[in-house]
Amino acid sequence: MEAMEPLLKDPGSPSRETMDRIWRVFVESLNLNLTQEDLNYEAKLDESVGLDSVAVLDFVTALEKEFRITFEPEMLTIDLVRDLKELAAYVDERVARSQSVAKGRQ
Amino acid sequence: MEIPDAVAAGRPASDAASTPLVTLNDLLWLLYLYPIRLLAIFLPRSLLYAFGRLSDPIVQLHARQRKKRAAPWIAQACGVTPVEARRIAGQSLSNGMYRTLDELLLLRPSSGKMLRCTGIDGFEHLEEAIARGKGVILLVGHFCANRIAVRYLAAQGHPALSVHNQSPANRAGGRFGKKYLQPRAVQLQERANPDQVYIQDPDCVLKIMRRLRAGGLAVVQVDGRGGKKVIEYPFLGVPWRVPSGIYEIVRVTDCAVVPMLALGRSNGFRIRFGPMLPVDRAASRETFVSANLPTFLSVVEKQIVENPQEWRLWNHF
Repeated sequence: MEAMEPLLKDPGSPSRETMDRIWRVFVESLNLNLTQEDLNYEAKLDESVGLDSVAVLDFVTALEKEFRITFEPEMLTIDLVRDLKELAAYVDERVARSQSVAKGRQ
Repeated sequence: MEIPDAVAAGRPASDAASTPLVTLNDLLWLLYLYPIRLLAIFLPRSLLYAFGRLSDPIVQLHARQRKKRAAPWIAQACGVTPVEARRIAGQSLSNGMYRTLDELLLLRPSSGKMLRCTGIDGFEHLEEAIARGKGVILLVGHFCANRIAVRYLAAQGHPALSVHNQSPANRAGGRFGKKYLQPRAVQLQERANPDQVYIQDPDCVLKIMRRLRAGGLAVVQVDGRGGKKVIEYPFLGVPWRVPSGIYEIVRVTDCAVVPMLALGRSNGFRIRFGPMLPVDRAASRETFVSANLPTFLSVVEKQIVENPQEWRLWNHF
């Protein structure tokens, strides 16, 4: 069986802090009865809860608000959203990019 | 006046356990999916429609119980006499059949030439909505001419992502039809209009969001029933389980919402756009839905009452 290709070409290693924040947003935006202890950095976000299409929308918007970023349209896929590591790497990258754009303007 | 139990309760009219192996409906679909589809590759439209006229009495006879159940509902919702309601039920069924024949024309490489649009009303409303730059949801009901209209608009430079049900209710189908013919029919519909997404797709809402964020169009049938997140609301005089996804999308994306109505057949159809709907930007999800759902539904309800014979769902319950 072929291994799944990662969505990000070079995902890098996401920061633990970003993953923790994403987990908090995930739990809060979907009103889940989960705590920080339930967080498994290796697991898919929808392993413990059903993640339907509309819930994903809530989660993505909450993430955009939390990190003050906008997902690129082509990155809006369920595969990215459910993979905590890849998602955190992407968020880190977007945050870094928006910060460098802001610095460039100053 | 008696409203069909299945409509009022939102449950299937037939019991799945007692579904026969093959029904007349399956045989009609078998004819449609194989010989008629193959003939439709080269037959002129007039001959294809002649097939439709020939099979109409069989379809009407086969659906007589469903028409009987639908008539009181139509009479009440549209304020017409029982005789007129029965006529509308029959006409809706015929139009549904011609819609499936039109879909065969959409499979042709030259399908663009087959679509004769007699006019577009209110196109300025669509242009105004596109100019906002946040994408546009085209709000429609289950009307027979939707698919040909969407294909026509795409050919005119306005492609729209359609949202469909991959496993629609098939009350008249037998076990054979449900297992083998229905998936084939869905496959054909997908070939006729590849720019679509299924509600069963976990990526469904994100795909719509993607299209809207790119400033594009998405067609959403607001009068669908059921789904994972629904709101009970009266529609055409009966309790309706309205899916809430569209309201979530509008709330999150701030897109424009434009009602669209398409009437007719491929040999002559008309598209009408209404003015952008005012969207109440309520703060919470719940208040947003309750503030906007009546507006969205009433627009489509009005379209149905004014053109009942073109709405496909009367005989579905």
